Amino acid sequence: MFGKVLVANRGEIAVRIMRALREMNISSVAVFSDADRGALHVRLADEAEHIGPAASADSYLRVDRILEAAQKHGAEAIHPGYGFLSENAGFAAACADAGIVFIGPSPEAIRQLGSKTAARILAKRAGAPVVPGSEEPAANVEKARKLAREIGYPVLLKAAAGGGGKGVRRVSAEHDLESAIRDASSEAERAFHNSEIYIEKLIEKPRHIEIQIAGDHYGNLVHLGERECSLQRRYQKIVEECPSPFVARRPDMRVAMGEAALKVARAAGYDNLGTVEFLADNDGNFYFLEVNTRLQVEHPVTELVTGYDLVQLQLKIAAGEGLPFTQKDVAWRGWAMECRVCAEDPDNQFLPSPGKIEQLREPGGPGVRLDSGVYPGWNVPLEYDALLAKLVTWGPDRNAAIQRLKRALSEYGIIGIQTNIAFFLEILDDPEFRAGDISTEFIPHLMAKRKPPPEPAPQLELAVALGALAHARNASEPAMIAAKSEASRWRTAGRGQLLR
Amino acid sequence: MKWQIAVDGRTIEIDSEQLAAVRQIEPGVYSVLLDGASYEIRVIETPNGLSAEARSRRFAVDVRDPRDTRRSGTSAMGSGRQNIAAPMPGKVVRVLVNVGDTVDVGQGLIVVEAMKMQNEMKATRPGHVIEIRAGAGQTVGAGDTLLILE
Repeated sequence: MFGKVLVANRGEIAVRIMRALREMNISSVAVFSDADRGALHVRLADEAEHIGPAASADSYLRVDRILEAAQKHGAEAIHPGYGFLSENAGFAAACADAGIVFIGPSPEAIRQLGSKTAARILAKRAGAPVVPGSEEPAANVEKARKLAREIGYPVLLKAAAGGGGKGVRRVSAEHDLESAIRDASSEAERAFHNSEIYIEKLIEKPRHIEIQIAGDHYGNLVHLGERECSLQRRYQKIVEECPSPFVARRPDMRVAMGEAALKVARAAGYDNLGTVEFLADNDGNFYFLEVNTRLQVEHPVTELVTGYDLVQLQLKIAAGEGLPFTQKDVAWRGWAMECRVCAEDPDNQFLPSPGKIEQLREPGGPGVRLDSGVYPGWNVPLEYDALLAKLVTWGPDRNAAIQRLKRALSEYGIIGIQTNIAFFLEILDDPEFRAGDISTEFIPHLMAKRKPPPEPAPQLELAVALGALAHARNASEPAMIAAKSEASRWRTAGRGQLLR
Repeated sequence: MKWQIAVDGRTIEIDSEQLAAVRQIEPGVYSVLLDGASYEIRVIETPNGLSAEARSRRFAVDVRDPRDTRRSGTSAMGSGRQNIAAPMPGKVVRVLVNVGDTVDVGQGLIVVEAMKMQNEMKATRPGHVIEIRAGAGQTVGAGDTLLILE
């Protein structure tokens, strides 16, 4: 096993990976930009290296600086997390050239599957069902117009190198195509250094269901079941669960999707962890969408239900160990559900809300897991993704997992910036959601039928008024408060000891 | 002493003695016990006054000192003018128009990006661009005026 690993990422996922490293007695090396000098991942790492200015293009996307940092610190391997360089075949190859293990699949597998168009061709040949669409990127607007006409509106534009919803646009009619292409390709260029866009048929009211796969260097490949990821806003997932309530009612579907996913993985000579994404329609047909050749944001729901630590598994595979279990060992117990807590405002089109976290109260207790990248006083930078933390609960069944999630959300307080915490409570109370009746159109549908919140109880308003009044009086008489507070008594005692 | 507190616009009158129900837990965090019910109120100062959170709800609070009779005035906007303001803190990616341009409803004016999300601000009515206050690469705050249409 490795003695030291560099984590080429930031935020909650860097923290998550460092936790696995510490559990395996492996030293961790953090990298950070100017904006992240005080970030949680830097605080928790054993070692840390500055790699450039705030803009990701000048720091977290700089292959040369990250490799220099790894060499300087003597890291034997690099974990890329998700986003940034995680699906960059050039980076994986550069690691190999530098004699550093890239924790992920081979550069060849990333190259084959990283381009969505190439992946579609591969999946089709391997015998997995695919959505009708273009098999090469739309080189210019003219070509795109022709392609979209052939496929038929509505169509989806997607970044060829993408993931995480960046560079994705829905186009309902031809007159919107040109500006959508301009937006999508410039967003893709910024996020992935690749502005290529491809076009596919939009399947109405689809479910987004994905299969977690794992493979070692010796040709062993298994799947760890599905995750339901249909709840999305702007094509980015916000609530995920395992199992899928849809698949849970159709036991054959997990087997069929698992087999399709493994066919694709086998055809690509895949090793390490990956996720094969599918769209499923109402009849239970499913179509290959893409492969994410990396650890997935929502991996914790699979961990809680299967009992495997997926990050530790990645490290073991990368270090040359064989898979420690076979397909028939994999079992699914209970239900897990995740909320992606983001710095964004659900009451204002989910627009980002960077800024300082003035106060933070984090949930805990039975069945609750919080993977967070923030702390009170942290200034959430505007340069990066809005994800602050993932709140995940486990329960013996779906209802129990939901009740726990609601309870944990009610304990969660992030003050100073806007977040989607209260919005999750609305989702979890929705009758259609509770019935498992969901699709990727669930969130827009919920927004459309959303009513203003009920009037708060008079007693709650009185309590708020009292709290605010106490605060306003404190603010106008700071000296009096300092004299009264518990902290100052400790300080006085400490000072007394120093003087002694 | 009596206080008038506006909670989301509704005025609540409070007597000094009622403050006995409040206990400060940590800076900005208050425990309030009322008739046996327990509330935790989290208060911060914002440019628009106090913001409080309780029971997963957010409230705008205005505490009026009985001795202070000032009222904050609201700025009147010229009837023919439209200020295009930043919807979120971020960076200006591109300005799509020039001063003097005539714009139609729905035309893209300026693109602001934060947290890797681009937001193209569009004209909501036809007009002329009379002033551009932000350039590509500039960092802007929520509510900052980016350009003005007439």
